[in-house]
Parts: sequence; structure tokens; C-alpha cells
Amino acid sequence: MNSKPIYINGLGSISIQQPLSFEGIQQPLSYQTPHVRCVEPNYKDFFDAVQARRLSKIIKRAIVTAKQAVDDSGISMPDAIVTGTGLGCVEDTEKFLDAMIRNEEKFLQPTFFIQSTHNTISSQIAIHMNCKGYNNTYIHRGVSFENALLDAYLLFQRGTIRTALVTGNDEMTPNYFILLGRIGYWKQAIQNTRTCITQEQSNGSFAGEGSVSIMFSDTPSSKSYACLNRMSLLYKPVKPMQQIIREFVADCGLNIDDIDVCMTGMNADIENDAVYNSVLQDLFSPNAIGTYKHICGEYYTSLSYGMLLSAYCIQQGIVPAHCILGGVEKSGVKHILLYNHFRNRDHSLMLLSTC
Amino acid sequence: MALDVYITGMGIVSGIGIGVDQTLVSLREQKSGIQPLKHLQTIHDLPCAEVDLSEDQMRELLNISADEVVTRTALMAMLATREALQQARLTMDGTYRVAFIHGTTVGGMEKSEVYYFDFLQNDLHNEFIEAHDCGACTEKIADYFGGFSFVSTPSTACSSAANACILGANLLEAGIVDIAVVGGSECITKFHLNGFKSLMILDSQPCRPFDETRAGLNLGEGAAFIVMESKAHAAKRGVAPLCRLSGYGNACDAYHQTASSPEGQGAFLAMNAALEMSNLQPADVSYINAHGTGTPNNDESEGQAIVRVFGNNPPHVSSTKSLTGHTTSAAGGVEAVISILALQHKFVPANCNFTTQMQSLPFTPVINVLHDIPVQHVLSNSFGFGGNNTSLIFSNVQ
Repeated sequence: MNSKPIYINGLGSISIQQPLSFEGIQQPLSYQTPHVRCVEPNYKDFFDAVQARRLSKIIKRAIVTAKQAVDDSGISMPDAIVTGTGLGCVEDTEKFLDAMIRNEEKFLQPTFFIQSTHNTISSQIAIHMNCKGYNNTYIHRGVSFENALLDAYLLFQRGTIRTALVTGNDEMTPNYFILLGRIGYWKQAIQNTRTCITQEQSNGSFAGEGSVSIMFSDTPSSKSYACLNRMSLLYKPVKPMQQIIREFVADCGLNIDDIDVCMTGMNADIENDAVYNSVLQDLFSPNAIGTYKHICGEYYTSLSYGMLLSAYCIQQGIVPAHCILGGVEKSGVKHILLYNHFRNRDHSLMLLSTC
Repeated sequence: MALDVYITGMGIVSGIGIGVDQTLVSLREQKSGIQPLKHLQTIHDLPCAEVDLSEDQMRELLNISADEVVTRTALMAMLATREALQQARLTMDGTYRVAFIHGTTVGGMEKSEVYYFDFLQNDLHNEFIEAHDCGACTEKIADYFGGFSFVSTPSTACSSAANACILGANLLEAGIVDIAVVGGSECITKFHLNGFKSLMILDSQPCRPFDETRAGLNLGEGAAFIVMESKAHAAKRGVAPLCRLSGYGNACDAYHQTASSPEGQGAFLAMNAALEMSNLQPADVSYINAHGTGTPNNDESEGQAIVRVFGNNPPHVSSTKSLTGHTTSAAGGVEAVISILALQHKFVPANCNFTTQMQSLPFTPVINVLHDIPVQHVLSNSFGFGGNNTSLIFSNVQ
């Protein structure tokens, strides 16, 4: 398909790093626990007391990062809001579920149910902005964010929209951390999250959570961080991924050597990272392979943080050394290829470039 | 730009039948599936439209062994998808790039709500932890057939399946896939039955959409999928299209998490956008398959939006939720299939249980099935919590 580039003109994030700031990309906080929660901003700056009490954490985060990205872009109202979330509003889902089981379906209040559906995030952002445009939500495991982005991307390609707010939101409650731990998601212990990808390869990763909002536009601005040239999602590809990556890069009019960094979803889980290593070893040297999950942790939409980081790095022209597998800072960065996979079943490729 | 999206197959299971043929008979004979609950274990005595098959019966129909971890939502979806693929004469052998897009919201909640405390305390039911995930559910269904090169899970509560149609259409138009199998599936769970009950929007009697005395909705369950491809692609495969998707509209009411605005702004915008994309005038629409849940709020809001778009004398309007119940995430798919049947068989399904005209609306829904009337364009509305409003227009190909 012929594709028109779209431009990243605004960014906002709340993560396990300093909120609403790029500090985590420069100097990430490191942790010694496999379950890390967000560093929250002061929500009193954004909500009145009633709202702050009524809205769940994930909704508050989403509304705040959405506002930050929209303000950053200088565009007052997006034409579309599309959200990716792997698990949706887990905290309220758990509260309603717990009450329903304990009280044997009696005396239930609707509040937690109301905020339990996955699409609450996108619609609450819309309600707070009074945005009546296109609104959608995608919930597809470790590729939820790129599903949401693809939805918006196709609307841009059709010319249906000129701007879109695309967000990735997930929360990791103590209970859901236990559940996913039972099926092998997490390490038992971790020495240092910042260096775990190179130093602590074993079964499981460490859990993060976060909210990332990205404003896209069909035209560049003085604020543009980077442009998204092309994207592709694949399910259980028949052809080898090496070949698919070569073809994808060629379709972008580039050679493999033009890719400054291939930004991966490596997360210190031996099985997860082995997929990247085997696909990329003949394509890129360790000094051209990037990582971001040591900064934001593993969660279903952590790729949204990877995209925020990559866009910021393209604007700066530098990928810091701690984000490079080979440990050497990359400068003069023009093209970052984001490659993400979930269990070697779902794969996504996205090319970010200078504007 | 007009859409080049044609429907070449469909499949459905719901409270009014297993498969397209049974569904057609029920629609024509106004046979409602709303009954006392039989399959769901709950303390509540509320009428619902369950799919009248146990999970064991579904497994048998699908040749799936008893020890394989599959949720009821996935089983229903497999039945509907199989029928849709058969009608489209599509063998999943890798010849084409085929997308599977499955709108759902509750995922594996029907098991999680039973095993949740086990999940927290022991390893007895770990296999259902993964199955709770909506995306895992989508992949389970896709993998039953194999050969899908793209999978996705849109989730906008009660408009999920309608939004699956939009993504499918856009993927086809972009040339990313050759064929898109789109729809939704959702079984009734205690979780959302109790959720809707806590919101006091469930009627203890059979629901009465667009009726002055309406007092809430009845939950339903089901799955429905349609196969979409371009006209040229269908011709190349030698499959005659059933109809086409001529337009869609998606807008957000941006009013309240669980209530619609009094003037139905999101619905108004979605219907207008669909008409605009279809290049149709309001008068061209033969039939509106309304969202029509039967709650006081929805039918008032949707009714006002219909009047704003179509005037005081709109085309035929009915809510088939009076037959199927509200199949939540699957509703957009279930009602797409019903809309296509209306086009194919030239009838307008009835809005059952209607007795009393709404004072605030100038129009009356279709009370009895209208047989043998020309149906050229059908507009189908699906509105979800949070104001996620989607309208689809299906049109005859003659």
C-alpha cells in the first residue's frame, strides 16, 4: 500500500519514571522489585476534589497525559481518539468482581461497573475534552497499542481525519500482578531494573504500568518530534521475520544500513528476548539494537512508551547509551525501526524518521 | 470516497437461532428468544435471550475435546465464523490475506467470575487466567480455523462488533488484506448481568423498545460474523455478494459514561457520517435497525437523533433486541446479519411487545413484520457505554 507519513506533534506520559517529563529517558530511575507502580503527578493540579475521588487511577492518568499531548501539539481538539489497552480498567473490574462474589450478587453499587469496561479510558478522555469525533478502543494483548495506532493510521490514509490522539494505557494492580505471576510473567526478584536486560536474563520480566498519549497530525509543525512513515501488523507470519523486515525497510525506500536503531521490546525474559536476538542478529549489530522496557517495565501497551521515547530521541538526534544493547550512545539518529512481538505470534513494525 | 466493500458470507448464533436459516425463520415469525435463564448460574430471575446450547453441545458441534480450554464466547464465535466462511466459500488455506476482527468486552469473564479467588490463592485454574484476556479469546477463535494473517480486538462495549466492521472496511480499502472476517461475540456473564442490574436498566419483563412503558433492556448473548471483500475480489473468487457496506459513521457522544445525551448528539453525528459516506439522502434509507435497547434513556436519545436526521416521518424503524435481547459486544454483528437478511429477503423485522406510543416521539416503530416490501438501504445503529456510537449502512447490490 502507498502510505502517507503522519507526524508526531505532541507527547504526554505517566510511567514508573518522573511524570509528565522526559527525564526518565535521560536518567531512568532504577528499581529492585519486579512490580513497579507509576510515579503519579499531583492530580489536584488537574481535577477538583470530587473528580479526583471518583475517577480511577488509570482514568486520571489517561486524562492528564491526553491533555499534556494535546497542549504540547498546539492543536486544541483532535479529530479522533483511539486507545490501546491490554487489560483496561482492571482496578474497578476487580472491585466489582470482588464485591459480586463476596456478596453473592447482592447489594452492588454501579460505580465500579460503570468504569470497568475497557473503552472507559477513550470515552472519558473524550468527555473531558468534549471531543465528539471518532472514538475507538483496541484490546489485543501485547499489540494493543499498535492496533489502536493502525486504526488511526488507516483513517489518516483515507483522509477521514487530519489529527488523532492515540493513547496506550495499562495498570498493574497487586492482584493482577499475582495472576500473571502464576503463568510465568514475572521474575521472582530483580537486582536492578535499569540493567536487567543485559545482566539478568532469566524467566519472566518486571511489571510496569503507564499512560502514554501521542498527538498525530497529517502535517508537520515546528513541534514535530518525528514522523511515522509506515506500519505493519502481522499475525503468525509465514515468511521469516528477517525477510519481512528487509521488505518493510525497502518499502520505506531505505536500506537496512539506513536504520540507526531497531528499537525492540526486549524485557529480560529469556524467551521473549531470544526471538529478537534470532530475528535481528543478521540484520543489526548490538550497537544498532535498542531497548526501552528497562525504563518503563513490561505491560501490554509498553510499546507506547517505546514510541514516545523513539520520537523524543529522533528529535534530539541521540539515543542514550543505556537504551542501546551494545552500550554505546547513538548520535545523528534519523530513522528508528520499532519492532515489537508478543509471544512470537503477533508482530509489529513501525518506522519513525526525522521530519 | 465510496466504499468498495461487499459482503459474501455471514454466520450467526443468538437466542433466536443457531445459524442464518433459523434466525430468518424467527425474524419472519416474530419468535423471541427472551426466556427465563437456563445456562447462566445466578441468583437473579431475569428474562434473557441465551443461545440454547450448552458448552458441551457447542464443543460437539465444533469437534473440540472437553479438556481444551475454550470459553463460551469463543465457542459461539467459532460456530458463527464457521458458517460465515462456508457461505463465502472461503477455505483458510493461505491463498488470501485474511483478517479476523472480533469485537468483545467480557472476554473470559464467565470463567474468571467463577475462579477469581482461586486465581489469587492457588494454581488450580491457571489455564483460565490467560483465557480471561479478550485478545487471547480472539486468537483462540482465529487459530481454530488457522490461516488468518491479521487479528484484532476492538472493544467499545455495545458497539464493539460494529467498530470491527469499520476496521475491516478500512483494511480492505488500504489493500492490507484481501478479505476481512468481522463481527463480535459475547456470552452473558454474571459480571455484566449484575452490572446492568446495579444500574437499574434491566427489565424484569420482556423489553419494550420505543414504547412509552419501556423499563429497561433484557440481556442476550450471541456471535455474528460477516465476510467482507472488494467487488473485484469477490468476482475473482466467483462468489456472489449478498450486499455491500456502503458507509459507516463513528462519533462520540462525549456526554456521560453510561447515559446518552438527551438530544442524541453522538447518534446524530454517527448516522449523518454514515449517510455522507454512502452518498445517500435520508429518504433513501428503507429501514433503520435501531440500537433500541428498551431503556428509557437510550430510546429517547436515539429517537430524538433519528428525528433530527430523518424528520418526523422517518423510514421504518425497529429494534430487534425485542427478539434477540441485547447481545452487547456482539450486537453490531447480530444486527448486521439481521439487516442483510432484511435486504436479501425484502422484509422489515418487527419491534415486538410494543403497545404504547412514546409521547416525545413522532414516529411509531414497526409493530408487525412487513413482508414483501422493497428494502434498498438499511442503517444499523450500535451505541456503547461512554458514547461510542457507530452506524453502518448496508445496501443492495442490484
